[in-house]
Amino acid sequence: MLAGLWWTTDQTIQETFAASTRESVDVDLTGLVDIYSSGGQVELEKRIDDRLALNPTDGVRAHYLLANRSGKRIAGDLTEWPDLDPAISESGDIAIGNRSDAYARATLISVDLQLLVAHEQPERSFLLARVSLVFLLGGAVFVGCTALFAQIASVRVRDRVRRVSDAFRRHDEPALDRMAAPRNPDEIDQIASQASQAVKRARQLTQAYRDTSEQIAHEIRTPLMHLDSRIMKAIARQPDQSTTAELLEARADIKRLVSTLEALLDIAASKADRGDWKGMNPVDFSSTVRQICELYQDSAEDAGYHLKWEIAEDVNVLGDEAQLRRIVTNLLDNAFKYNRPGGDITVSLQPGPHLSVVDQGPGIPAAEREKIFERFYRGTTAGSGTQGSGMGLALARAIAQRHDLYLGICDNEGGARFVLSPGEGSECV
Amino acid sequence: MKLLYIEDDARAAAEMSDIVREQGDTLAVESNGADGLRRAGLESFDVIILDRMLGDADGLELIQRLRGIGVSTPILMLSALGRTSDRAEGLEAGADDYLAKPFEPIELIARVRALNRRASGREHSAVILFGTFECHVKARTAFRDNQHIGLSPREFELFRYFMENAGEVVTREMLLRDVWNMSFDPQTNVVDVNIGRLRRKLEDGFDSPALETVWGTGYRLLQGRAS
Repeated sequence: MLAGLWWTTDQTIQETFAASTRESVDVDLTGLVDIYSSGGQVELEKRIDDRLALNPTDGVRAHYLLANRSGKRIAGDLTEWPDLDPAISESGDIAIGNRSDAYARATLISVDLQLLVAHEQPERSFLLARVSLVFLLGGAVFVGCTALFAQIASVRVRDRVRRVSDAFRRHDEPALDRMAAPRNPDEIDQIASQASQAVKRARQLTQAYRDTSEQIAHEIRTPLMHLDSRIMKAIARQPDQSTTAELLEARADIKRLVSTLEALLDIAASKADRGDWKGMNPVDFSSTVRQICELYQDSAEDAGYHLKWEIAEDVNVLGDEAQLRRIVTNLLDNAFKYNRPGGDITVSLQPGPHLSVVDQGPGIPAAEREKIFERFYRGTTAGSGTQGSGMGLALARAIAQRHDLYLGICDNEGGARFVLSPGEGSECV
Repeated sequence: MKLLYIEDDARAAAEMSDIVREQGDTLAVESNGADGLRRAGLESFDVIILDRMLGDADGLELIQRLRGIGVSTPILMLSALGRTSDRAEGLEAGADDYLAKPFEPIELIARVRALNRRASGREHSAVILFGTFECHVKARTAFRDNQHIGLSPREFELFRYFMENAGEVVTREMLLRDVWNMSFDPQTNVVDVNIGRLRRKLEDGFDSPALETVWGTGYRLLQGRAS
């Protein structure tokens, strides 16, 4: 663009100079013709000499040649008549010496006199240098301004994007609400508005879920508590042994019902809160896993299992410690339930976190590996004596997902190998 | 003990009265948050039992208002919301303990007594004595009839907890929460096995039992004297 502008400017300067030279030659020539008309040849020669004697202030030197019709010089500084026909007042560029070009016009002023006036082309290099300087300075200012503008624009865009991203990250509700209805929306505002409206809808759904689950919990637990009280009163009246046994069983049923309800609500809450890191803190997962292993150690000895653990130090996880404990205990409960008599149970924790709990039970057939994480599913390899709500693994997986972790089951030579790791697909590596 | 129960469910309040009176304690009942707040401000109670979902108030807010008017009485929050996160919310709001409905009456009594004990500062001595037992908290050693009992660190923590609650029922939930930092009861019999090991160590070589199992609820440390 700059080159095009430069070329156009150069052409314009050349044309302007040429036009100006043409005009000044014509004026000069007309003046001399008038002098000849009024003062005759002698006066004309005198004036030509006068003009040649003048030192031009604008640097444009003039040349003259007064000659007879055969081209022989009478007056003026030029000696040779150029190739211009005075009969038709021809004009054109001629060479002056070997130095410069000049624009000249020749004319016939009487039957045997012809006059030539030539003006050298004015010196353009000075003007061109100044124009170049203006171009360079202008270009520099233009480039500088453009860069400054681009920088300011990019800083402003970056700041706005950062403010939007901060509002989403910090769950800054007033800021998100403001974003939902921008006054003069541009593209960034529109994206922020759409996203904040989506977040608002998700928030409303989560809140609706919380309200509903609190209501369900209240509406079910309260009558269960009254039922439980009635059963206790009946037991207090000391009925016969078999009635007492049945009443106690009924109380146990109530407890199971409550724990199932809690597990269902926990699974739903973990799923609803997925991706929400509010209330999460750094947890020393190494210490948590070690404490749980130590707690299970005596139970393992009693059951005749060999519980072993290999725990790397300082494995930290951002999360909810109570929930992370739940994952580990659910996996250990599962291993205790299905291990073969006298078998090993091995717990391993490596940075990542990569937690694995391996038993030597019958293992999980490939076709059932995903189903065991479904609610209420009990594996076909479960013994008849196994208990539980059938939701331990579904809950453990939901909690893992809440922490952006993945709980899966991997191939193992005999037994089951449960692995908790960051991201699906990395668990069996 | 003198207890205040703030509960809008009349049936639940009546059942609570039965439970508390059976223990020889007294219970005042208020059926809404405003009256509960006034009563707690006017009279002195050992423990306040507060329902989380009242008709006119949210129990979590009520705790802050109680603390705001200078009531420092221990508060046991009772609630139909029993998930781990609900408990955490209750404790963060300032409740001293949290119990979900339905509950075992004996569990409630045990927790109320534990709160009262904690408030009256009876648990912080360096040496705890109960019956034939001695617990040296700093030295982490245990004695029965002046005879040293070798306990593992985990067993000692369990023993100390029983000594701090000497003579009172300690429920499974209390042990899980206070000794092992678990907010739920695992399916594996970790509580029974750990208690069994401690019991064997406390009773080995002695004629009288040390730990009593309270059926279906928890355990109680005995004085360890021959009856």
